[in-house]
Amino acid sequence: MKAAIIGAGLGGLLAGAKLSKSGYDVEIFERLPFIGGRFTNLDYKGFKLSTGALHMIPHGSRGPLAQMLREVGADVKIRDSNPMAVIMKDTGETIAFHDFRKGLSLTKRVKLGTILACSLKFKPKSNISFKDWILKYFDDDFLLKLADSFCGWALSLQAKDVPAREMLEIIDNMYRFKGSGVPVGGCGVVTGALADVIKSNGGRIHTLSCVEKIITDNNRAKGISANGKTIATDIVISDIGHLETSRMFECGDEVYLEKIKKVTPSKGIKMCLSSDEPLLGHSGVFFTPYAERINGINEVTNADPTLAPPAKHLIMSHQAVISDDLNQEINLGLLDLKKLFPGKKYEVLLIQSYSNGWPVNRASSGSDIGNRTPLCNLYVVGDGAKGKGGIEVEGVALGVRNAMKDIGV
Amino acid sequence: MKVNQNCVGCGQCVAYCPYDAIIVFGRAGMNEKCVECGVCVDYCPVCAIAEE
Repeated sequence: MKAAIIGAGLGGLLAGAKLSKSGYDVEIFERLPFIGGRFTNLDYKGFKLSTGALHMIPHGSRGPLAQMLREVGADVKIRDSNPMAVIMKDTGETIAFHDFRKGLSLTKRVKLGTILACSLKFKPKSNISFKDWILKYFDDDFLLKLADSFCGWALSLQAKDVPAREMLEIIDNMYRFKGSGVPVGGCGVVTGALADVIKSNGGRIHTLSCVEKIITDNNRAKGISANGKTIATDIVISDIGHLETSRMFECGDEVYLEKIKKVTPSKGIKMCLSSDEPLLGHSGVFFTPYAERINGINEVTNADPTLAPPAKHLIMSHQAVISDDLNQEINLGLLDLKKLFPGKKYEVLLIQSYSNGWPVNRASSGSDIGNRTPLCNLYVVGDGAKGKGGIEVEGVALGVRNAMKDIGV
Repeated sequence: MKVNQNCVGCGQCVAYCPYDAIIVFGRAGMNEKCVECGVCVDYCPVCAIAEE
């Protein structure tokens, strides 16, 4: 059985590793000169920056991505963060993430416990947003700010744009899989290890290879055309999102086309900083609910010093994009950093923004529409087809798992 | 080099530029160090860079 995969991002590589391990003859076509998409290292001034996501695996060594890496035999060491996360309060003091309830009154704490337990069991069926869901039960500025900070950091969205049911799925997964970890060597080690697995299973990965079209026959994908050459396949996996995929064949399924129009990408800004002294001192997430724009920061060199030159620290901040004025958003983020680290010396290495054709997520969390397409043997994986309740790359892993289950591997 | 409206400011080109000739702040732009070598073109994920 032959599988052609369009795109060598995390989703394409995970699918490729899983399929090749199950005996499929895998061939991957990547348009760019390198593999890994928005989950690989970007070498810059001696630092290992990243092309997209941070050097972080949201549920660390216990999460869906880590599980899948183990399953396919990808050699990746994940160092779980301790503390998992801290929150900076309006007073400037920091508290452990799990202690976020401590600032609330006793009545609110009891109410929160009850409502959360009940809502995790019976998730809302309506489209109520996470913000409105909080407002329904609580009038509390800290909870709302924390929700925005968490949603901004993890999903590049404001709490008003995340469906409460998706957020509750995420909270469920946080209880199940626990907190984040740093892949030793950076996120590029993950995609690199997957490529090694594929190659050792006899698969091939072509870079600078453009797939022009998916060849169909009676609602089936018969093959692809790449760099002008036709390749017959039994199955096609696309890692480029539903919209781009649908443009590669003559799609007459109006319901599907309407559905993918509603999928919205998420926008975010990542700032990479260098400092001689640690700004945080740990590798957990530093949530900043009271900053104007920045949602959270991490300092990965505390988990893996090799991500920066000797005696340097690498710090990355992330913020969701709120307004249409990107320059203003960046400037507000830079101002936040100044206020968060007064008197500290740091250098801004690179400011990276993501939107439209190269977004944070092709499908913002809660707008994913699954892996299937109108062609029975064409599946979409990656950040455009994440699984339920999966934060970023965990969502990619869950989506790939769902697609592979459908295929039967 | 010319940068078109597809540019989102991801900064990939900055890291791959051999001449330290690209600055990014919301979108990419070339400075006077640019020698029009064209290396950045292939590394742009949204086909935003073309030779002038």
